[in-house]
Amino acid sequence: MKVGAAAIAAMAWLALAPAAGADAPAPAARAGEPPMFAFDIASGALPPLARRLPDVPLVVKPQRTDWSPGHYGGTLRTMMAKDRDIRFMVVYGYARLVGYDENLRIVPDLLESIDNVDDRVFTLHLRPGHKWSDGKPFTSADFKFYWDDVANNRDLSPFGLPQALKVDGHGPRFEVLDERTVRYTWDAPNPQFLPALAAPSPLYIYRPAHYLRNYHARYIGLDKANAQAVAAGSRDWIGYYQKLDEQYRFDNPALPTLEPWVNTTAMPSTRFVLTRNPYFHRVDEQGRQLPYIDRVEVRITEDKLIPAKTGSGESDLQARYLRFDDYTFLKQGEARNHYHVRLWDKALGSQLALYPNLNVADPVWRKLMRDVRFRRALSLAVNRHEINEVVYFGLARESANTVLARSPLFRPEFRAAWSKLDVAKANALLDELGLNKRNDDGVRLLPDGRPMELIVDTSGESTEETDVLELVRDSWRKVGIALYARPSQREVFRRRVYSGMSMMSIWSGLSNGIPTPEMSPAELAPTAQEQLQWPMWGQYFQNRRAGGEAPALPEAQTLVDLYREWEVAKGYAAREKIWLEMLGINADQVFTIGIVSRAPQPIVVSDALRNVPAEAVYSWDPGAYFGMYRPETFWLDTRAN
Amino acid sequence: MLRYIVKRVLLMIPTLIAVSVIVFTIIQLPPGNYLESYIAELQAQGETVDQQKVDFLRQYYGLDKPLPQQYLRWAGGMLKGDFGYSFEFNMPVTKVVGDRMFLTIIISLVTVLFTWAIAFPIGIYSATHQYSWGDYGLSLLGFLGIAIPNFMLALIMMYVANVYFGTSIGGLMDPQYIGKPWTWDKLMSVLAHSWIPVVVIGTGGTAGMIRRLRANLLDELKKQYVVTARAKGLPPGKLLRKYPLRMALNFFVSDIGSLLPQIISGAEITAVVLSLPTTGPMLLAALKSQDMYLAGSFLMFLAVLIVIGVLVSDLALMALDPRIRLTGGISR
Repeated sequence: MKVGAAAIAAMAWLALAPAAGADAPAPAARAGEPPMFAFDIASGALPPLARRLPDVPLVVKPQRTDWSPGHYGGTLRTMMAKDRDIRFMVVYGYARLVGYDENLRIVPDLLESIDNVDDRVFTLHLRPGHKWSDGKPFTSADFKFYWDDVANNRDLSPFGLPQALKVDGHGPRFEVLDERTVRYTWDAPNPQFLPALAAPSPLYIYRPAHYLRNYHARYIGLDKANAQAVAAGSRDWIGYYQKLDEQYRFDNPALPTLEPWVNTTAMPSTRFVLTRNPYFHRVDEQGRQLPYIDRVEVRITEDKLIPAKTGSGESDLQARYLRFDDYTFLKQGEARNHYHVRLWDKALGSQLALYPNLNVADPVWRKLMRDVRFRRALSLAVNRHEINEVVYFGLARESANTVLARSPLFRPEFRAAWSKLDVAKANALLDELGLNKRNDDGVRLLPDGRPMELIVDTSGESTEETDVLELVRDSWRKVGIALYARPSQREVFRRRVYSGMSMMSIWSGLSNGIPTPEMSPAELAPTAQEQLQWPMWGQYFQNRRAGGEAPALPEAQTLVDLYREWEVAKGYAAREKIWLEMLGINADQVFTIGIVSRAPQPIVVSDALRNVPAEAVYSWDPGAYFGMYRPETFWLDTRAN
Repeated sequence: MLRYIVKRVLLMIPTLIAVSVIVFTIIQLPPGNYLESYIAELQAQGETVDQQKVDFLRQYYGLDKPLPQQYLRWAGGMLKGDFGYSFEFNMPVTKVVGDRMFLTIIISLVTVLFTWAIAFPIGIYSATHQYSWGDYGLSLLGFLGIAIPNFMLALIMMYVANVYFGTSIGGLMDPQYIGKPWTWDKLMSVLAHSWIPVVVIGTGGTAGMIRRLRANLLDELKKQYVVTARAKGLPPGKLLRKYPLRMALNFFVSDIGSLLPQIISGAEITAVVLSLPTTGPMLLAALKSQDMYLAGSFLMFLAVLIVIGVLVSDLALMALDPRIRLTGGISR
């Protein structure tokens, strides 16, 4: 009888909710108990809220003025293009040990607090009473399991510790202080540690040990582990364990999680359903457990169809796979299909940037590319205003490839550096380089007599790249340089750049345009092969001098030195100084030629969905796209429509 | 006859080996491998990749081995019924294909039945009423059916359905059945949703079949035995069914050869546009991401079906048509 009454009460609440309004919460809401669980609690399948929440839950304070406390319930629909994309629910959920808040500060999230001594000694305090989504306690044993049996297990981690745990090749000392306290100690500062924990694709230094132990050879014996794996269709326990232990891939419904929504669907599927985590650790100011929305439904559909389907109202919240080109189409369906399109700023340093390849194989071109005057001339000869008006409806901002105005490291002079159209000056610089001979078409001649035909590789991803290049070609023509676009395919593109076959390439600019001094400036220095302006120098750094080439330009070497200094620098001011210096060198040396920044990302939000910020930054890291804006506080207003 | 069948079956072996080499080579032709395209894709979205994990996967999946070795491992596995491992889904290929295969077969079979049910009466009518208004009208429709690409028709129908009726036509069942075990209700839901893809996929085939049936039948109708039969006073309906129609059916039997693989692969592009949970979009995605064992094993499966289908239709033709049987005897 009791069961029935509770269920009826829950249904009654649901029915009343539309009329009740925010100021008159129904009894169920006052108790902070999501009505979805009323039945399970009444039947004893689930303990009441007080026993599910940690002793000290994380109280999510209103972040914005248009923020309102929500109603429980509803299903949020969104779309992805591949089964594998289900991992984006981990990105959007954004439950991390520590995470970025909207002011880009790293604050404790899953952790109750963290003590940091000189970026060297990190003591992590867990929330007492915190539980995994299956109700089992989340304790230091989960950290110990990762450290002993995953990170330092020869079979599971044959290549050693993850990069972010290593400083100069050495890992930390790990100690368990008590049931809810662990400590990591490095000999030298490890400024990468916290950003790695807060990343959208985070460094997971804990595992649901109580679950994974059942598949680990050390706990159940090698024979049993292998037999179990073979029965499940894997080759051995290593592969099987790796497949089950995917907190980021999010494709194992049995794996306990700490995220706001728990995936209930296994791959392969065309529809994934996520339900609320009954043990989630965040509450709103009234003590009501988050998330507000009960379910998330992720439909898998062809990526090219996502804009069309979004435009027909099939998604309540969509940003992924929408491009700026879709804006007008999406706008058209707004009224008919009850959604609105918002434009968020992308956090890229430049929507698209040209990367002169300083490692190009052709010696004549290489010499030119490495001459700062040449790079400056190229940058001065780009008509950014025209590109902005033609391709981006004037909504973007003409800029060099540098940090955005939202970043505390922004300086107007970095944005303006060599980025104003000045054909006369560009011509003068090129003449000064001795490139003053031209052929009959008005194209300058290289020192060895070849015409200056600059081939720009594109990855063939979009027409946006080719449209922009078309406009760049027109203005470069005026300084006597012929530009040809060479579209290819992503992998071919990257290989051509890495091997020096490509002279110049076009790709998005700095991936983090809103950094604080605490975040890594690695992108500004030759530190990785993926950096298209100096792949070989980056490889040299990445492989610890075992491959690639040492930076041949003093400025590039300075950047590497500065980056190393940043790694060991102490304090905000010191890091800020290094950052600014690195940004200054990049701006002055024009290693990359930025075009426009702050290009808008269309976000489609259902008319019923509340608490999605009207203006925001759409950023992968820091930000986790929606994650930073707390999707668990979004709610569906049933009064809409 | 038995000798002939055995010979044909033995011939299939070198054919399939050749096909497997070609399939494997073509899948490997684009530079890079699954892991590289995976990394490139993540980076294109601004995501980062854990190098440790990538190294582990490369070693674990044997992607660091030379190509011939990878080929032998794959081909050898297939002989034992092990179709390899899908990188994308992180599970054996057979498990990935499972449910999709069943849905594909349902859709394709219904499509085939739909095609026959429409094409036969129309084809016969067109042939027997050649150059009548009915023939012209139906031919026009038929040409439209051939000329409009399926995916285009699908797009137009989707647009119309959304703008004028406010419904979505993607998918193949009500959402609550997705991922659930098969029940009667689920089957009914699939059938209720399947008519749009069936119409879209079926139009091209229907139109083609009308044209072929009409042409074949017209050839036969002009022959002397038809005139003779008619002169002897055979009723027109019986005459048609008993002689020229049967003669005109040879093309239909030889179509079986290509029908089998079609049933399994589904109409790829249309399925992509309508986002049907069939095997077509999966194959396309696997090829794009260089998920080589998934793509390779699936293509091999299609190749086997084609080879078997051709054999079956050859045998059926021999059984049905004495002319083919006898000519075969003479040449030997």
